[in-house]
Amino acid sequence: MSMINVKVVAIEQVTPLVKHFTFVKEDGSSLPAFSGGSHVVVSLDIGGRIHRNPYSLMGSPMENEAYHISVRKQENSRGGSVFMHENVTVGMPLKITYPVNLFSLAKKGRKHILIAGGIGITPFMSQIADLNRMNANYELHYAYRSPEHGAFAAQLKEKCGDHLHCYIDSQGQRLDLQALLNDQPLGTHVYVCGPNAMVLATLDTARNLGWPENHIHSEQFLSPPTGEPFKIQLARSNIEIQVSAEMSMLEAIEAAGVEADYLCRGGVCGRCELDVLETDGALEHNDHFLTDTEKASCKKIMPCVSRAKGERLVLDL
Amino acid sequence: MEHGYTIKSKPIYGALAWHDKATVHLVIAQSQGGLAVLKLFEQMQPKQPVRVLYAQQDTDYAKTLKKVVPEGLDVLNSEQELLDVLKSIMPTMRMGLRIYIAGSEGFIWSVAEAVKAFGVENADLMKEQTDTLARTIYCVHCKAITHNITTNIGKCSGCGRMLFVRDHFSRQMGAYMGLMIDAESPGELPAIEEIYP
Amino acid sequence: MALNFKKETFREDYTYSNSGESIKRFPFPFPEDQYMYSVNIEPHTKGKPGSVCEFAFDIDEHYVAECLDKRITLEQDPGRYQALPHMMDAQWDFLELTMEALAQDYPEHFSLQKQGLIWTWENKPLGIKDTFTFGDTSTLATEPFDYIGRQLQGDFVLLDHRDETLYADAGIVTSQADWSLAFNVGMSWREWHGPVPRATELGVMDRALKYLLNLQLGSPVRRLNWTMTVNPRLDTSPENYPHWGSDRNTVNADNVADLVHLRVELQTLFRLPRSNAIVFSIRCYLISLKDIATYPRWAKRLHRVQKTMHPDLIEYKGMTKFHPLMVDWLAKFDDGEALTVGTHAE
Repeated sequence: MSMINVKVVAIEQVTPLVKHFTFVKEDGSSLPAFSGGSHVVVSLDIGGRIHRNPYSLMGSPMENEAYHISVRKQENSRGGSVFMHENVTVGMPLKITYPVNLFSLAKKGRKHILIAGGIGITPFMSQIADLNRMNANYELHYAYRSPEHGAFAAQLKEKCGDHLHCYIDSQGQRLDLQALLNDQPLGTHVYVCGPNAMVLATLDTARNLGWPENHIHSEQFLSPPTGEPFKIQLARSNIEIQVSAEMSMLEAIEAAGVEADYLCRGGVCGRCELDVLETDGALEHNDHFLTDTEKASCKKIMPCVSRAKGERLVLDL
Repeated sequence: MEHGYTIKSKPIYGALAWHDKATVHLVIAQSQGGLAVLKLFEQMQPKQPVRVLYAQQDTDYAKTLKKVVPEGLDVLNSEQELLDVLKSIMPTMRMGLRIYIAGSEGFIWSVAEAVKAFGVENADLMKEQTDTLARTIYCVHCKAITHNITTNIGKCSGCGRMLFVRDHFSRQMGAYMGLMIDAESPGELPAIEEIYP
Repeated sequence: MALNFKKETFREDYTYSNSGESIKRFPFPFPEDQYMYSVNIEPHTKGKPGSVCEFAFDIDEHYVAECLDKRITLEQDPGRYQALPHMMDAQWDFLELTMEALAQDYPEHFSLQKQGLIWTWENKPLGIKDTFTFGDTSTLATEPFDYIGRQLQGDFVLLDHRDETLYADAGIVTSQADWSLAFNVGMSWREWHGPVPRATELGVMDRALKYLLNLQLGSPVRRLNWTMTVNPRLDTSPENYPHWGSDRNTVNADNVADLVHLRVELQTLFRLPRSNAIVFSIRCYLISLKDIATYPRWAKRLHRVQKTMHPDLIEYKGMTKFHPLMVDWLAKFDDGEALTVGTHAE
């Protein structure tokens, strides 16, 4: 997979939990332009083990001198975000993928309702640049815990003006999804990114109000969940690999030196899909990609986020 | 052509059924499509507001519809009149609206075209084909549209060429592709048969 | 190395021909004795020097004549260019991708100077030099996709990525193998490929779609497709079928090797940055049976492929009338020698 060599040129503490990183290309040339809602996967070498985490690009898609990402420190994570917060310093070289967009704006939409919760604001930062450029009809609804956690609220006020609506939890302000989605013109699309409960509530509300499925968009990257260790066999490579408790199957495959496809590493895009040749036990499907029928069939698995519980799992790789 | 082979661009029409999550239902029908509307109301009298636009033609279900649809029924005298009323009510509609169409294929796609202008995409429409299998044909040579072709080969209303009706459908045009049948051997026409009665 | 652009025609008197160099680099599409419809997609990485895959967009000795033929076709039928309104970002993306590639790969013929958003584009073979503002449509005489699409060999379709599929929402198509852009514009992937026999059932198109939805910026892909055309005609459109359809009747045992051409499409796909759309580029190469027989290996291979072709595909590719003549002519080159897998000429 094509990677881009970048270096960190600025780090800023935006809220008590969020740091903002600025990257430029190591050789000084321009970075690729991208579309609003895109992310990159950042590779981190943590004690010899490669972690790859997806982060939304936050800058304007028209600016190709630098990329901007924000990282929320996840205390119970497997270390990627903690490493970004504590070990990544200005001047450090990093490898990132080319931008990928799994959360693009519906170009034919007549109105766009963006709903962000906490760090879920990040993919909207670049979308807002696109929407402003296209002079589009939009509203940004941004909910966060307390004033000090409202990352980028001031910046957003400046960029979005009247399009911005903030909901500060500590001040008792709540976003009323039902009221918001109940009275929107035809051709409206809704987009949500944030905590799981907020994403589910938005999807539910829109569906219950009769919104067609293709007008409802969400992005929710999963961190690979930890679990019990298990073994896998790779049929074509003819090897057996141990997947430890805090490693994902995809990471274990990569650590064993076997090349596997991937894009988002968050259970969304479907690129890393593998065929299951044999399995004796329950597969723990954690992705958003496979349909329920596919999950139940035990014929396919997404190694970026899913795990296994049985003794035997043979993959076509 | 092999058995089991389907042309993926040819629309497959189903039977109308209520979307139970809709906030408003808009039912649009013509001629025998009235029967499809009656079947729809046999399934349920929805709790949400319903608007029915019905264009009378050869077959007329207006009388029965008036009994079954207590409120919100408009009986119109032609497709054009119906489209005019449709265009006048669409600006008041909001997200949550679900649209149901029953009529000939030509009628279905005229309605689809009309509501597209208001931000409703084809994928969001429920459609049932009634009345006739007659096809609307786009002449790929002169770009004219010819309506109501019931035969495997039809004459183009624009350039007069005899067109073979391909099973290839454009939702943007609401038409099948018509390709000159005798370009390779001028004047040699296969038997013309009614296959879209 | 500067290219020697030929003066030739792709209609009426058909003076088109391939030089020895051009035959040698022809993208022969059959690695095996039997043809199976397949996705056969591979990364569009830099090919061998001189090959059609050396650069992102191939320019060859037919460049000037093809651009002229494209202009004639567009003048006669402006409907060969289509762009739905939401594709404007994709249009500029396309212009940037192609101008940068040509200026970098063929510096003796094309140049691109940038001063911020003020760009100056020079196309020496076609005698064009224009300065415009990137992103500002009013600074070009035509839409950006139209402007640069006319200065490239081959056809281009811009695919919008939405609702888990790809929509053909813009195109400039003048050298197509019998499909109509004016009719197909706005169609989804599945509708567009509706008429391909045997492919839908095999699930080939669904697999290809899944692959393309994950196509990445900076990692273009390519595949070859092929058909046979009577006369070296670029515009074998359904629009003009009344003009070229009867050419199929003119093939006989004496002229088959001159008239019947293998038509190979080098199809490349690139993800575009700002629009997240995909460019589908279809670059057409034509070679007569006679020129194919310059290399006996190709003649033998083509003979075996055609002899074992499924009747549905013979019909779909419009070869029914001249197929037996072609197979007969090729038979005399085929001594039955076993051929290794590969498309190489020698």
